[in-house]
Amino acid sequence: MARLTHNDLIVLLLAISTMLIMSRMVGELGKKIGLPMVMGELLVGIGLGPTLLGACFPGAYAYLFPFTASAGFSLALDGILSLSVIMLLFVAGLELQLSQVVRHGKVAIYTGFGSMVLPSVTGFAVAYLFPQWFGVQAGSTNHLLFALFLGTAMAISALPVIARILLDLKLFKTEVGMVIISAAIFNDVVGWLVFSFILSMVARDGGGSSEVGATIVYIVAFSVFMLTVGRFLCNRALPWVQTKLSWPGGVLALSLGLCLLSAAFTESIRIHAILGAFIAGIAIGDSAHLREHARVIMHQFVTNFFAPLFFVSIGLKVNFLQHFDWLIVSIVLVLAFVGKVAGASLGARLGGMGSRHALAVGFGLNARGAMEIILGSLAYEAGLISQTVFVALVVMALVTSIASAPLMRYFLDDAREPGSTSAITPSTGLS
Amino acid sequence: MDHRTLKGRPPYPFETIGVAVAFSPRLEMVLGEARRLAATFGARLVLIHVGDRTEAKEALLRQTMATAGLDDPEIPVVWREGDPVSRLLETCKDNTVDLLILGARRRENMLRYYLGSVARGLSRAAKCSLLLLTEPQAAGSSFRKIVVSGVVNPKTIFTMNTAVYLARELGGREMTVVTESDQPGLAMAVAEDSRAGEAMHFKDQATSAEAAQTHAMVGLCSPGEIRITEKVIHGRAGYAIRQYAEHNHADLLVLNSPDSRYGLIDRIFTHGMEYILEDLPCNMLIVHSRLS
Repeated sequence: MARLTHNDLIVLLLAISTMLIMSRMVGELGKKIGLPMVMGELLVGIGLGPTLLGACFPGAYAYLFPFTASAGFSLALDGILSLSVIMLLFVAGLELQLSQVVRHGKVAIYTGFGSMVLPSVTGFAVAYLFPQWFGVQAGSTNHLLFALFLGTAMAISALPVIARILLDLKLFKTEVGMVIISAAIFNDVVGWLVFSFILSMVARDGGGSSEVGATIVYIVAFSVFMLTVGRFLCNRALPWVQTKLSWPGGVLALSLGLCLLSAAFTESIRIHAILGAFIAGIAIGDSAHLREHARVIMHQFVTNFFAPLFFVSIGLKVNFLQHFDWLIVSIVLVLAFVGKVAGASLGARLGGMGSRHALAVGFGLNARGAMEIILGSLAYEAGLISQTVFVALVVMALVTSIASAPLMRYFLDDAREPGSTSAITPSTGLS
Repeated sequence: MDHRTLKGRPPYPFETIGVAVAFSPRLEMVLGEARRLAATFGARLVLIHVGDRTEAKEALLRQTMATAGLDDPEIPVVWREGDPVSRLLETCKDNTVDLLILGARRRENMLRYYLGSVARGLSRAAKCSLLLLTEPQAAGSSFRKIVVSGVVNPKTIFTMNTAVYLARELGGREMTVVTESDQPGLAMAVAEDSRAGEAMHFKDQATSAEAAQTHAMVGLCSPGEIRITEKVIHGRAGYAIRQYAEHNHADLLVLNSPDSRYGLIDRIFTHGMEYILEDLPCNMLIVHSRLS
């Protein structure tokens, strides 16, 4: 078995500890001025990566991150980062209660559809009709896949950041909040399924029509199986696991084990491992038997260990200054805001919500946060997008996340005027 | 029958009680419960069977009614054919039934649960109040420990008052109004950048808001001599109250009728009342309030 050298191990541990400690310190400072934690993590990545440290102190950068000098270091860090993204997708799935969408009925379904369809179509159309804007060759293998990707990137939401915004705005348990969360769940499930299809096709170099068909069948069959039979089995097994095995060790080990098993399976059938982790997260997290404490531990572990490593590593891979292009950033921002806000608001209106509440729902769902960055990073790693487009997506994720809360507050403050409080009343539960 | 008279009709008093006759081994017990409830509430009884009408069935029903103390020839028996759930609901509507009682298994096998048994089917589409008896007794069940779902809904106040009415007439003294507090996504929202106790603060904030709403509803209720206790529990709506009723050995769980009909999709992506129908913790009263 190949092993890390003594020096490789020291450098790896130094790199990881630097990433963790610095991202926490910068993140905490950022929090004081209202910036999301992920922004601090990205800034640390930029500071430690080629953009700053690499440019100002190339020797220090080469020592701390010897990507070229040490294959062992690169491989080990790559393994940790792959595990990080798998875990991030697992915990993202853990909070997606599919029954939420069913429970909130027409308005949630319409909002989910609206916030999915319009941004997908506008994103796809712009990327397909003007590929040159994004540095994609018209008619190339990647042309269609890139257009599909941009459509998906515009459609996806970020439940973690949305949930946090709703919590801060005290909208978490209101009708508006529940509609936003339900629609975000819908966006995320569909978005990640489509994205795993795109990644799979990129790995197959476009593939023929039979490969396209086979990939779709694999993804749908796996998802349907896991979300029905898998979910049912998890639901049955969890009470036993949580009472008969060590607590919380038993449920944590088995849940994470199932996540990795599922990820390994999807990777083995040439669908990306993230799909397996994401769907396993939904199958486990959807169970009413999963105790809150176990859920909290999994979130804390992943969010405070794997997430900083992953987001800092983004800055290590990309030179943000060199690849920042105003035009592409502007196009991506306009597409993101117009498609998502218009689509979600229209859906909410059709579902029966008032116009200002519908707009608040639109801006709420517009927050892309960490999920968009993960999506962009995976697409960049797969060679589907350039560094310039990736940087534009990261900027878009940050801008939409920061803008979401004040814009929602603006529309809801107005809606709180006498006579218009119905949609911010608490959501009803069992009836 | 003019169905318009049903609009706005309060869920109690129980003037007409329907009994779903299934010819199961528990028929005599169900009829015994019906006899006792009709006598207590001074209600008229209507027996309904959906299925073939044969001489053997008629004879068996007459004999069982006599054993259960229902030998009054004036008690109407309605025989219908077709889909049991639809026919039962139609017959209840035609006869202005205020409460339909029927036996129900605590747990159905998986296939039957997904395809839908009559008791579960009626619960999902309740158009009149239903009393599902998991362990019917020939002499009548005791409803001493009553648990009522205090969900924030315009129907809940009617449900609470119906539970009080039932408890009062049947000698119950205590009722617990349970508020379920569920914060999906809270763990995720506070995982990254919350200070110590912040998650608990958010949780407490949401819980106290919900408890205050339930308390306000309880304030509108007219409990008379019944002592009402309020309780907030954490967990998914439906699942949490089922667990609570089970752990506290409740005799009766009282809920609102669903706002919209539950379908197969609600069984697959279980939520709300479906958690209770999966595994009935005790007898269950579903109160249908015909809000005008």
